[in-house]
Parts: sequence; structure tokens; C-alpha cells
Amino acid sequence: MSENVPLLTCTGVSRTFGTGHTAVVAVHSVDCEIPARGLIAVTGASGSGKSTLLHLMAGLDRPTVGDLSWPGLQDDDADPRAQIGLVFQGASLMPALTAIENVAFPLVLRGIADVAAREVAHDTMDVLGIVELAAKLPEELSGGQLQRVAIGRALVTQPRLLLADEPTGQLDHGTALDAMEVILGSAAETGAALLVATHDPVVADMLPVRWRMSAGGLDTDPSLTVRAGASS
Amino acid sequence: MSLLWLKGLLTRRAGRLLAASAGIALAVALLASLGSFLAASKATMTQRAAAGVAVDWQVQVQPGTEPATILKAAAGQASTVLALPVGFADTTGLQATVGGTTQTTGPGKVLGLPPGYLAGFPRSVRLLAGSLHGVLVAQQTAANLHVQPGDRVRLGRTGMHPFVVTVAGVVELPQADSLFQRVGQPTQSQPQAPPDNVVLLPQAIFTRAFSELAKTRPDLVSTQIHVRRDRQLPSDPSAAYTTVTQAANNLEVSVAGAALVGDNLGTALGAAREDALYAQVLFLFLGVPGAVLSATLTWAVAGAGADRRRQEQSLLRSRGCSGRRLLLLAALEATTVGVLGGVIGLAGAALIGRSAFGSAGFGTTATGAVISAGLAFLVGLGIAAATVVLPARHELAVATTYQGRSIVRRPQRPSWMRFGLDGLLLVGSLAIFWATSRSKYTLVLAPEGVPTISVSYWAFLGPALLWAGCAMLAWRIADLVLDRGKLLVAWVLRRFVGSVSTTVALSMFRQRRVIIRATVLVTLAISFAVSTATFNATYRHQAEVDAQLTNGADVTVTESPGAHVLPGAAAALAQTPGVRAVQPLQHRYAYVGADLQDLYGIDTSAITSATSLQDAYFQGGSADQLLSRLAHRPDGILVSAETVSDFQLTLGDQLKLRVLSGTSQQYVTVVFHYVGIVNEFPTAPKDSFLVANASYIAARTGDPSVGAFLVDTGGTHVGRVAAEIRSQVGTTAKVTDVNSARGLVGSSLTSVDLSGLTTIELGFAIVLAAAAGGLVAALGLTERRRSLAVAAALGASRQQLRGFTLGESGFVALAGLVCGALAGWGLSSMLVKVLTGVFDPPPAHLAVPWGYLLVVAASSAAAIFVASGLAIHRLRGHLQEDLREL
Repeated sequence: MSENVPLLTCTGVSRTFGTGHTAVVAVHSVDCEIPARGLIAVTGASGSGKSTLLHLMAGLDRPTVGDLSWPGLQDDDADPRAQIGLVFQGASLMPALTAIENVAFPLVLRGIADVAAREVAHDTMDVLGIVELAAKLPEELSGGQLQRVAIGRALVTQPRLLLADEPTGQLDHGTALDAMEVILGSAAETGAALLVATHDPVVADMLPVRWRMSAGGLDTDPSLTVRAGASS
Repeated sequence: MSLLWLKGLLTRRAGRLLAASAGIALAVALLASLGSFLAASKATMTQRAAAGVAVDWQVQVQPGTEPATILKAAAGQASTVLALPVGFADTTGLQATVGGTTQTTGPGKVLGLPPGYLAGFPRSVRLLAGSLHGVLVAQQTAANLHVQPGDRVRLGRTGMHPFVVTVAGVVELPQADSLFQRVGQPTQSQPQAPPDNVVLLPQAIFTRAFSELAKTRPDLVSTQIHVRRDRQLPSDPSAAYTTVTQAANNLEVSVAGAALVGDNLGTALGAAREDALYAQVLFLFLGVPGAVLSATLTWAVAGAGADRRRQEQSLLRSRGCSGRRLLLLAALEATTVGVLGGVIGLAGAALIGRSAFGSAGFGTTATGAVISAGLAFLVGLGIAAATVVLPARHELAVATTYQGRSIVRRPQRPSWMRFGLDGLLLVGSLAIFWATSRSKYTLVLAPEGVPTISVSYWAFLGPALLWAGCAMLAWRIADLVLDRGKLLVAWVLRRFVGSVSTTVALSMFRQRRVIIRATVLVTLAISFAVSTATFNATYRHQAEVDAQLTNGADVTVTESPGAHVLPGAAAALAQTPGVRAVQPLQHRYAYVGADLQDLYGIDTSAITSATSLQDAYFQGGSADQLLSRLAHRPDGILVSAETVSDFQLTLGDQLKLRVLSGTSQQYVTVVFHYVGIVNEFPTAPKDSFLVANASYIAARTGDPSVGAFLVDTGGTHVGRVAAEIRSQVGTTAKVTDVNSARGLVGSSLTSVDLSGLTTIELGFAIVLAAAAGGLVAALGLTERRRSLAVAAALGASRQQLRGFTLGESGFVALAGLVCGALAGWGLSSMLVKVLTGVFDPPPAHLAVPWGYLLVVAASSAAAIFVASGLAIHRLRGHLQEDLREL
């Protein structure tokens, strides 16, 4: 598929939770496109709707209004969502599985035999430099190690779009930068597009394109990137 | 802060609170129900025991004492409602000439009843024919003399001319045994049977007939004061027994030995107190495990939220909350859960009482109901404290802030597994069981005439250790399967959940503590249900056997003593519609040495066509084997174990008996050979008796007459058949049926009472089995919803998600049901053996209520699978929420 075709497009996408006077509009009339190999940071305060937008983009939720599609991911009749890798906010590893089992888990869900899935997971962990963590349970890992394993799990299927929701939210500054380096390096290596939701300006500055969310609305004005770049 | 915390718990952790409250509610409801039921049962036992007594006290006036003095003393006793003097005289014999033939009987008894006696003691006499106003003749006497109302009877008097009376009515004396007791004499010296010939005279006629004899032979005429007591007795049979016995003793002391009190009311209450104690034992055996199970369920529910609570504690500590404050918050949670569970439980108990027993208090007094409810409520609060505060305290002592983050740790085996505590408990259980199930062992001891009664609570330890040991063994087995057998688990799961099977098996292996906890809980619940239901079914079965044993068969036709009815009469009875088989049963008396015993003559080849003979009736072989031995030796005889012991008999020994001939009324010596031991036999008394071949007895005594006919109806239309036969035989024979016997054998610790107890038990067992599986599975899955949400977000299909829950649920259901069934079987066997005192006769084998057990198993398994299904269903609607919590 042509690299000019955007991986994902949102047109007038809104997501409202609840009804009547208790309704909360989490995402409001979002229009955007994620190009192939795009590296985008979505910034915004807590509660601005970043996580909801990422969940919509990942296909975990459906918009209340608007159209969301993955034109650049629709190959071979396969589910486009299978080509999306997800890094969640906070610790998201399966607590009962070791690090390598966690990394291999998306492959197992795709029906790949356990042994083969472990081999791929091992290679992925090797690339990320976390092979020595393979046999450890999540409770035995530090915050940074947890996030690296989570990144490995997101990358193991070699996604064409990587969505990371506050991947450094619970890490100290140094570890956060290390984690971002890993994510960016992996995206560069696999050619995946990357969208990172963060409220940390330092993390956002590591990505060339910046969008801003506020009260559910998304501002994708290119000048935002310039201004942000200038400010950094 | 406390209120804020409480508000947060109620709004954000409502499910956890409600689930824990539900566990406590179950324990409270069960204990309150059983407590009230026990109190009500005891009161019922007292009332029934007292209601069955015709004459509360028979005060025997000693020779030389003026009856009026004793009458005054008896009437003056507190709680005496009525006291009347009754004359007793010995007659040399009775004679009547009816229809041109004269019938003469042997010696008998004549009673003189004062005016108002029959109204004051209505249960002492039952009118069968004629009128109660005038001279009354006992049924058997009427049959012996062939008299009916209007006929004249001559009363023989020692040294005097006979006294002639005209019969006004024929009556039955339902409590002839106690009426003709030897007052003040021990049980052993009481007569074997009441006199055959009894005439009741109005006091005026009695005075005319026997006043002269009383002067010349005061040993032949005596007076008893019959007393009716106020029935406002303490509700507990034991307390009622003590009250009545003390009053009787007081009367004896007050008349300084001038009279002896035959305390019939005390005797009846004495028997009831033993039954009450058995009811209490049953309450403990059957009720306490239910409460323990409910508490364990609450512990498991609280344990299912332990990780989250640990995280919350950790967060609070990191924000500077002191340990004391944390404990206070835990106490607040415990109080909330305890009070809520207690209130729901008491409401549930009241509802059960109202719907099943017609009263919220199960028919007990207000005080009894309040005490039961109060104690149950306190137990509920205790469970809440033990399951919420203690774990929180433990966590405070051992947990670090870092550990607070942990959801799954590498599972460590409990230390008891290293020491083999499960094995030790099982061995201990068997050892205690062996010690307490030996012969001569008595669980409940209530000696006659002794106010103190005792229960060997030691016996409780056997089943309790077995239960605990089985639970621990189930833990060990489940641990072994999930650890060493994880590849096998993965292989089994593969056919159900596909490619994720290994991951599911590994997940189960690492989270096995939660899974094993649920498995053990299901094991406990199922074993509780199995043991309770099996015990109940066995009890019911044995009650039926007891009724058959007491009556002899579905319908029994007992001929009047002296009547000469031949076996051929069975043919006429067999013609009655609804009759399947009729078997004649010879009944004689025989002297074994100086001991007079009942002797039954049977046709070994056909006796079982009309009645059922249990293996437990015999010793040293099955019923078939012993009957076969008898059949192969025409002069063979089965005797009681007591006779074997008394006469040092060994198999094949010759036994010479003096047997009463029905025709000559003389004792003739008959030689038998001892071929086996019989403990129970249809219609036979509880003490020693003999069973031999009818043909041999008939040949040796020249008398083939029959004592009774055993009639089999196939268990149906018993009442109708009995009525039909009754109309055929008239007053010449007594016709009884198994339905009436059922009421008699269950006079105190009745089948009705036990069915009430087990109705509660069986109902709770189903709820507990379902709750144990469903609630714990649901909570476990709820606590792990984040894992499921992550799996869903990573692309797990619905089937794969179901695989995770089904793997766990299937294991819990299968392992829990299998282990529970095995433990329940062992527990049932032990319970039936330990509680053998409530069975009479002891059961040959367990009666298993398969239908009920299938319902229990199905409800437990269904609850587990429904909980799993709901966890997946819930995930669909709450994925965003769960992911946001990551």
C-alpha cells in the first residue's frame, strides 16, 4: 500500500459517555490523520481526552459520532487493529505471566504456537536489551523495566502503528527518557508510525509533530509543532 | 477521614462489601435458624413427652397408711391439678357365660375408679364399644370371655364368693404398662407385660366388691393416688425433668415413706431429655459446619479483595496514614460488613422461619428467639472481625510499601504442607473415630433417675478433623495438579480454549493460590451438602425400617392371647384387596433358664415375602445367611447376644427351653440348637427374644396356632388395607399399620423434627455450594478484570477470554466436586457411625439422595460458570473503565 495513504483518519469523531445531564463529552469533533511513519505527540492536561482518543484509534472503543477508519492498515482482509501496537498507561502486564510470556502474549492470541511465539518474543526482548528479564514476573520488575517489557509486547507483532498512552507517566525523569528512546528507536527500526499521548512537555519535544488536546478537542495545527519546537 | 473512607467503600467497593456481607448473612441466618429451631424443638419434645402421659404420678399408698392422708398431701403439692384415689384389687379369675358356653380366665386385676376419673385422666382409657358409664372390661379380657356390653361377668375373690357385674363397655388401656407398674420397683423387676384380664369398676361398686376383702387380705387390695400435674413446664426437657422429679421426691419425703411415687411424667421427660440432647448433638454436628463454611466463605471473599486492600493500605501508608488509623479503617469496614450481614441474616432467618415453620421465631418463645438471634448476630460480627481486621493487621505487620503494588507473587506452599498436617489430621480423625465407634461407646448418656446427662463431645473431633483434613488434602491435590500437572492441564484445556491453553495453564499455575482457595471452598461446601443429605436420607430410611420393625410389616394382625388361630387363616387375609402377601408369625413364651422370653416361630422360606429383614438385625452374618442356617437345621434357634453371653453359648450348642403350649397352657421342654444371634426382629421387644422354625415348634408343642399375621401391601394403600382387615376381624384381633407405628417411633426426636432441621440444612447446603463456587469465582475474576481487559485490548477474542475464565472455573468445579464428593462420603460414613445412637436399628448401609446431590452439584457448577460468563459479559461494557484503571 502506498505510503501516501494515511494509516488512520478521524473525521468529526466524538465520544460521549453517559446520557442526559450526566453526559460527558470526552472527545469532541476530532479531525486528524496519522501518516505512515508519522511521529506524533498528543499533549494535554489530565482529563483532556487523550486516553479516550487513543482507545478510539486502537479500535478498543467506538466513536459516538463521526467516522474513524484505518485506510493504510487494511491489507489482505486482515483486521486493521491487528497492525496496531499498544502501550498502556501504567503497569499493564499480565501479572501471572513472566516477562517473556507477556511479550509473546499478543502472538499467542493470534494463534501462533507457544514455542514459536516465545522465540519471536525473545528476539524482540533482545533488541530492546531486556532478555535478562525474561523469566521474571511483573512484580519482580522495576517501573522502567515494566515499561520496557510493555513496549516489547507492543512491538512483538511488528505493528505499523504504535499508540502509547502516557508511557512514561509513572517513571522518573531519567527512566522516562530511556523508555522514550526505546520506543522511538523501535519505531524507527520497524518503520512504524508512532503516536504518544503525554502531558510531559519534555517527552513531547522528543517527537517531531505535536498535537494538543483540550476539553476533548484536538488541535492539529502545524504551527503548534513549530511553536513548540521554538519553545524547546 | 473515617466517614470519607466509609463512603468510598460503599460507593466504589460495594460489590466486595456486599459479597462479604452475604457470607456473614449466611452464617447468621443458619445459626439463628438452627438456634431457634433447636429451642423450639426442645419445647416441642417437652410438650409431646408430657402430652403422651395419661397419669402423671401414680402414688402407691403403703399398707397401714390412710389413703386420705396421701391424697391430701398429693393434692397439696404445688402444681398438682387433680388428685384422685384409685382402688386396685387382685381377682382370682373371671368367668362369663355367653351363648351357652362358659369362659374362664386366670387371675387378673380390678380397678376402682372414682367419679370424674375418666374426665380427669382422659388418656388412660379408650372406649371401643358400649358406654363409659358403668363397668368396663379391657379389650383382651372381653375377647377372652367373649363378652360384650350387657353381658355379666363374675369376679373371683380370694376366700369369698364371686361378685357379679354387668359390662357397660369394652375399653382399651393405652398405657397399661405404666398403669400396672410396680411402683417404686426398679425396671428389671417390673412385670413383663400388663395383666391379661382387667376390669374397671366405678368406685362405689369396687367398694362393695372389695371392702371386705381389704380387711381380711390387705395384701390383695391397695390404693393409688393418681395425680395430674400442671403442664406449665420449663421448655427444655432436662429442666422439666428436674422440676418434676424434684417435686415427686418432695412428695415422698413429705409423707415420710408412707407412699411411693410412680413418676410417669418424669420417666417420659427423662426419655425426652436424651432425645433433646441428641437434637443438640445433631445441631452441633450439622449446624456448626455450616456456620464454619459460611465464615470460610466470608474469609475467601475478603481474601479475594486482599490484593486491592493491600494496595489501598500501601497507598494510605505512603500518604502518611498511621498503622493505628489503618486498623481503625479496617474495623470500620468489618463493622459495616458485620452489621449489614447480621441484619440480612436475621431477616433471612425470620423469612425462613415464617415460610417453612409458620413463625419467624420457628415456634420458640420470644426469649428463645431473641437469644438465638443475638448470639448469631455476635458470631456474625466475630466473623467480620476475623476476616477483615485480622488480615489487615497481618498485612500491616509484614507488608512493605513495595509489596503493596504486587498483584501476583510467586506462590509459596503453605507451611502446613511441609509438615504434612493434612495427613496428621486424617490419621488423628481415624484414631478418634476408632476409639469412639467401638462397642459400648455411648455418645449421649442419660441414665434413668439421674438428673445429670452427658454428651461425649470428644466424638465431635473425629468428623471435625476429617473435614479439615480433607480440605487440606484437597488443597494439596489441587496444588499438585496445577504445579506438577500444568502441562497436563494445558493439554486438557487445548481442546476447549485452543492456542492460549498453555498461557491459561501457566496463569492458573501462578495464580493457583486463588484457584485452590476456591476449590477448597467448593470441596467443603459439597462435602457438607453430601454428608448432611446422606445423613438425612439414612435417618429417614432407618425411621421407615424402625416403623416396619415395630409394627412387623405394612399391616400386622395380632391375635388376642389365648385365641387359637391357625396359619390357614392367612388365606382369608390374602383375599383382601391390596394385600400382596401374608405370613403367619408364631408367638410363644419360653423360659431360658429362669428368664422368660418371647419366642417367634417363622417360615424361613417365606417370611421375607411379608416383611423386610435387615442385615443389622442379625450378628455373625447377613439376614440371608442366618435364615439359611435356620432353614438347614429344623431345631435351630436364633437367640439374643445377651443370652449367648449369659449362658456362654457357642454355635451348635443344645438349648433346652420350656415353651408355653397354646393348647394346654402348660410349659413343655423343647430341645433346640443355637445357630446364630438375632438383635432385632419384626414385632419383637427390645430386650431378649428367640426366633425358631414355626414347623418345629408346632410339632414339639402340638400347637400350630399363630400369634400374628404379617401383611405386605407393597407399601401402598396401607391405611385402606388395614381398615378393610379391621372390619373383617372385628374385636377378635388387633390390627395395626406402619403409618401409626411411624408416629409412635418418632414420638420425640421425631422424623418431623429432623426433617425441619434438615430442611434448613439442605437448603443452606445448596446456597453455600452455589455461593462457594459462584461468589468466589466472581470475586476472583473481578479482582483480575484488569488482566482480562489487557487481554481484550491486545486482541483476545471472546472465545480466548472465555478460555481464561473457563479454565479456572472448570478446574474449580471439577476438582471441588470430586474432592467434595469423596470427602462427603467419608464424612457421611463417620457421622452415621458416630451418631449411631439416633438410629434404631443401626443402618446396614448409607442411603444416598442422588437427586438432591445432583441438584447441589449442578447449582455449584452452574454458579461457577455463570460467574465466569458474567465476568466476560461485564468486560464488554466496562473495558474503557478497566483500562483506565491500569
